[in-house]
Amino acid sequence: MPKRMKLTRPIGQFTFGAWALLSLTVLIPIFYGIYISFLDIKLSSFLPPQFVGLDNYVAAFKAPETWATLKITLAMMILGMLVQIPLGMALALVLHRNLKGSKVFSSILITPMLLTPVAVGLTFRFMFDTDLGIINWVLESFGIDKINWLGQQTTGILAVVLVDSWQSVPFVMLLLVAALGSISPQLYEAASIDGATSRQTFWKITLPLITPTLLVVVMIKIMDFLKLFDTLFMLTRGGPGNETTTLGLWTYKTGFIFLEFSRAAALGVLIMIISAPVYFLWRRSTKEVK
Amino acid sequence: MKITKKGKFSSYLVLIFSSFLALFPLFWTFSTSIKDRVDTYTLPPKFFNFTPTFKNYTSLFQIDAFPKIYLNTLFVTIMSTIIVLVIGALSAYAIARRSSFRGRSSLEALMIAVRALPGIVLLLPLYRLSSFLGLYDSLWALIFIYAGFNLPFAIWLLTSFFRQIPIELEEAARVDGASNTRMFVKILLPLAMPGIVATGVFIALLSWNEFLIPVIMAGEGSKTLPVFVASFISNRTLDWGPMAAAATIALIPIVIFTIFIQKYLVAGLSSGAVKE
Repeated sequence: MPKRMKLTRPIGQFTFGAWALLSLTVLIPIFYGIYISFLDIKLSSFLPPQFVGLDNYVAAFKAPETWATLKITLAMMILGMLVQIPLGMALALVLHRNLKGSKVFSSILITPMLLTPVAVGLTFRFMFDTDLGIINWVLESFGIDKINWLGQQTTGILAVVLVDSWQSVPFVMLLLVAALGSISPQLYEAASIDGATSRQTFWKITLPLITPTLLVVVMIKIMDFLKLFDTLFMLTRGGPGNETTTLGLWTYKTGFIFLEFSRAAALGVLIMIISAPVYFLWRRSTKEVK
Repeated sequence: MKITKKGKFSSYLVLIFSSFLALFPLFWTFSTSIKDRVDTYTLPPKFFNFTPTFKNYTSLFQIDAFPKIYLNTLFVTIMSTIIVLVIGALSAYAIARRSSFRGRSSLEALMIAVRALPGIVLLLPLYRLSSFLGLYDSLWALIFIYAGFNLPFAIWLLTSFFRQIPIELEEAARVDGASNTRMFVKILLPLAMPGIVATGVFIALLSWNEFLIPVIMAGEGSKTLPVFVASFISNRTLDWGPMAAAATIALIPIVIFTIFIQKYLVAGLSSGAVKE
């Protein structure tokens, strides 16, 4: 269409602001972070930094904390997905029925994801309190002994995952409601004419059609558990010891509590490498949809 | 599909129970914030049978730094939201209207990097850079970093709003010889206003909630509300009343906002994940 082409003017300069801002806050920091990881900067020392090659990486690989915190991150990630995807799915299926009042319920259900994570963490810390917490009080009324939720590894990880789930199940739910809404009703009609049970319909029609969205959810969950910070910081601070510390929180502690700045930068580069596969998958998936 | 009576009943049961779970912590925070010490530290917990008090709030307002912290948070939130909206709307216009232009794919790569990378990875170098530039503990450093981290989200959201505006309107203006800028200001902006407002509210919400950036980049001078709320817990004496009051004060603007923007909530929250 020659007419249309003539009407199209270059527009790339409209993105100049975005380039400037993202260069300052993202692009330059990425490269500067990589650079720092080859120096020996400590926040506790004012000596001019020296180039130390791969020392920080070697140290990071040798430190048991790196692997321990990576394992904790993975544990939270997997546990989180096991909790959040089925729950989000169940709620999405119920909302998809479009019963009277669905809209009101869905606006109530998404409230948690909008709230300040720090305040949420604080609230739950009170609710998880061993002696005064309302959660143990409820459990006791069912005859379950007091649990020291935040004072030990297994229950600590569980508590962090539960609080994160409280905030992120609504998100999973929203994405799946959108996916369910895009399935053509004719498919279901055809299935019911053929006499399919609702279980068969779910496994043979619904599930395959929402699989792409489920994969997006999995990718988002991986990214979000690598990012997890606020609620974790409020609930346990990674404690007791480092038993609920994730790789991200460990990087923070290394840099700003132990003041090993370059060591932390090396951990940051490791996190970049770990998230690279998700990054590329994500890019591909967003391209395909277009 | 037909839903049986039993199915309907159990659906409502699920919805009511999960709504209760979603709202209870909010209720609990608020009710703790208006209890006095005795009522807070008692079992079985007191749900309604206590005399409300505003002591926790008054003790909070007596903290000298508190008004400043609240104003800091407001200022950073508003300024970074404005920056994000201006830059974001321009970029989103380009992305919505052209399938390709110079630098588009690298810009998108950068945007995804922000979504994928944990903030701490970028904040370590940013901390050092800003100390070099004398920008540690400066509100403007916070504003620009907030803006940079939230920009991709705004661009995705705005792009989807711009795409809903029929291109024919622009083509007509083109024939009359309007420039890109004129087109953007005269045609796109007014039509996209509801979307821009909704995006603004989301970005404001994210900025208001932000914790990691200020906990690293802000000292005493530019401390924000989430950092203040978090600092309660490092004190050895856990005084839940004032803590709950601080949490409530952080949460109130959000609850009010979300009631106003119900209409856009769903589209906004899932943007960047579902490409229309």
